[in-house]
Amino acid sequence: MNLVQQFGIFFSNIFSIISSPSLLLILFGSTLMGIIFGALPGLTATLGVALLTTLTYSMSTQAALVALMGIYVGAVYGGSYGSIMLNIPGTASAAATALEGYPMALRGEAGKALGLTTTASALGTIVGMTFVVIFTPLIAALAMQFTSFEFFLLAFFGILISGSISCPDTVQKGWITGFLGLFIAMVGRDQLQVYPRFTLGMMQLESGIEVVPVLIGAFGIPQIIQVLKDRQVTAEPAKIEKIIPSFGTIGRNVKHIVRSALIGVGIGAVPGIGEDIAAWVSYGTAKKSSKFPEKYGTGFEEGIVASEVANNSCIGGAMIPLLSMGIPGSPPAAMLLGALMLHGVAPGPMLEIEQPGFTIGISAILLLASMAMWIVGMLLAKQVVKLLKVPPALFMPVVAVLCLIGSYALGLKVFNLYLMIPMGILTYYLTNMGYPIPPLVIGVILGSMADANLRRGLMVSQGSLAPFFTRPVALILLLIIVFTFVSNTGIYKRLLAKILRKA
Amino acid sequence: MKRILLMLIVLVVALGFVSAQAEVEYPARDITNILVWGAGGGTDTANRLVMAEMAKELGVNVNVNNVTGGVGGSVGMYEAFAKPADGYTLCGLSESVVTAAVQGGFGNRMNVWDFFIIGGSPDLVSVTPNAPYNTIAELVEAAKKNPKSIRAGSSAAGSIHHLNLLAFEKGSGAQFNFIPYDSSAASQNAAMTGEVTLVITSVQEQAELLKAGKLRPLGMLIPEDFDFMGKKIPSAFKAYPGLSEYLPLEQQIGFAIRKDAPEAVKTKLQQAFKVAMTADPIKKFGAERYFTLKGLVGKEANDIFDKLESVFSWTLWDLGAAKVNPQTLGIPR
Repeated sequence: MNLVQQFGIFFSNIFSIISSPSLLLILFGSTLMGIIFGALPGLTATLGVALLTTLTYSMSTQAALVALMGIYVGAVYGGSYGSIMLNIPGTASAAATALEGYPMALRGEAGKALGLTTTASALGTIVGMTFVVIFTPLIAALAMQFTSFEFFLLAFFGILISGSISCPDTVQKGWITGFLGLFIAMVGRDQLQVYPRFTLGMMQLESGIEVVPVLIGAFGIPQIIQVLKDRQVTAEPAKIEKIIPSFGTIGRNVKHIVRSALIGVGIGAVPGIGEDIAAWVSYGTAKKSSKFPEKYGTGFEEGIVASEVANNSCIGGAMIPLLSMGIPGSPPAAMLLGALMLHGVAPGPMLEIEQPGFTIGISAILLLASMAMWIVGMLLAKQVVKLLKVPPALFMPVVAVLCLIGSYALGLKVFNLYLMIPMGILTYYLTNMGYPIPPLVIGVILGSMADANLRRGLMVSQGSLAPFFTRPVALILLLIIVFTFVSNTGIYKRLLAKILRKA
Repeated sequence: MKRILLMLIVLVVALGFVSAQAEVEYPARDITNILVWGAGGGTDTANRLVMAEMAKELGVNVNVNNVTGGVGGSVGMYEAFAKPADGYTLCGLSESVVTAAVQGGFGNRMNVWDFFIIGGSPDLVSVTPNAPYNTIAELVEAAKKNPKSIRAGSSAAGSIHHLNLLAFEKGSGAQFNFIPYDSSAASQNAAMTGEVTLVITSVQEQAELLKAGKLRPLGMLIPEDFDFMGKKIPSAFKAYPGLSEYLPLEQQIGFAIRKDAPEAVKTKLQQAFKVAMTADPIKKFGAERYFTLKGLVGKEANDIFDKLESVFSWTLWDLGAAKVNPQTLGIPR
């Protein structure tokens, strides 16, 4: 496909969506729903995409994608409402925004903060979209170097890195939950020799543990219990005046926008870690490299831009490995993968051959979603903020019901509920003990991939481990894994300190 | 007590009404097709198209209702089988349902059904473009010289494509190193990366890669040659007549009716089906999906499913993937 054709497909996609009233309705509706999901503390982008996935089952693939991308983009953006107005981030990815946004709101600049956030999020999404278009074909071409060995290493790396980064405590805790997820993924008949493993003779476990109920249980139930237990009192939201798209401010912050967008895309593209980490890393980098680090934490616009651009550009980043290799770049992208599979789309290097123009179509939807988000954000910020006054005790039971329906709706299996609820209770206690949950879910998602590919690779090499060292991509991945592991051990840190002292 | 009595009366009246209905010429009301796979899939699309054509012929609507789940479509099949054998319930299905019984999801053999076969996309053997084999004979001879040296990819163990590979090995005497993948698409990916040299999947699945010259077709695993976009893909049966003992094992998309349904009803459906198969939308669908349109009914169709049942069940049993011994079900080997 040449450039002109690509542009043609891009615009015909955009046109086909905006010329269809029902698709437009879905676009704006799901974006608004996303913003509400994001704004309400306790509801996350992942949960939003998860709950919507089952509802899109009967839609056409295009309509489903519009709905899912809309809620994804909206939810990542909507998290900032709670951060700015209440100092309670609606989603983890907006936690950094709270550090700057809330002080601004206290100063009576809530409108300015919201306007800035809205524009920054839209810009971030658009930058992310550009990267999807440019990099997906490149990575897909690179994916031709990926055989079973490389896929095993990549999946393993995904579990390891999400464990190392997402843990507030020690990395080992992240790895422990990651490997717990890996273990859960082993349940069921194995994919290669159809041998039942850990099924305890239960028929329902034969096909393995389904990801969607695990996801809903792991992200939904602990949130519900926690929010209800804490009896979170809703603070009186700060007053908003006018929400001006601060174009002058945007001009001043071009440098931060570009840097944050790159960080967001880069982190999004790493399997298994998502918007929250992108926002923190970008915020941290902005603070470190800023001329006025002392202004951070006092309601500084640079900080908001850094956090909000990064978390939204992360969406595009997360789509790159998803579309090119079938590996989700973030937890919500993992849900998207499930949704794509439901619609008979198999992301991977063959995607562009089997469904030419699919990647372009996705980026067109991303662009429209970011615009819809901007419009809805500008028009409705004042109204959506009112939602924050709804006490959690009222909406959490609704969420609980949605969790139940969401898990059951997939395949209409009551067994999914027996899976989802214990998983939720388990993860609640794990969270309380400081074990991070994302690595567990990533472990469940990437576990079967790691397992099947390792054993398939050994079948291909007829039992030899040599390809780990002789295949260049495999060797690089192996070295990265070894480094990630070693650099997080005490010996390495002591050694490093010693070397530094000598030098 | 009164209420129970009332209910009984209602029931009797209703039954009388139904039996009175049955005397009216079939079909007197809408027909339901309980389809065991999801909406939008190959079986679903084919069934919906054929049902729409048959509806014109029969003069009543045929509603397609997807009832998925279980093993080998067992939930939908069970539901369709539990309905009366009056011809008002059909069961949309494909070849994979024959595994439901040995997997413990369906208590009967396939001979409780009468099948209507719409068709399916046949399997073929293809190799990567840089492989040194230009004909099926070159491939088989190389594999015979060095057994298990050539890596062959297909979808999971026990799938239709894996069974085709096994049959191809038995019929030709070659032995390959079988590498299972999660799906046909994944096995074709692996051919692109060079992890496997040959793949066995259906024409429909390989179509885009064949068009792009990324796979080289060597032979069809059906007795006839296949016309792919004006180019002839020869049948592997020519070089290895022994294949006819084990093959063909084709994808068979269609629907079924309970065998104990009245003959008159079956005849009526078969006539409508034959007419439907000649309709333009069906032909267009067949060409788009690289289907061989069959339009088989009665004994011909039932024999095909009998054979599929035997091969699938015993292969799964031998692989250790079956729960129920095919012998206890009376499935001949």
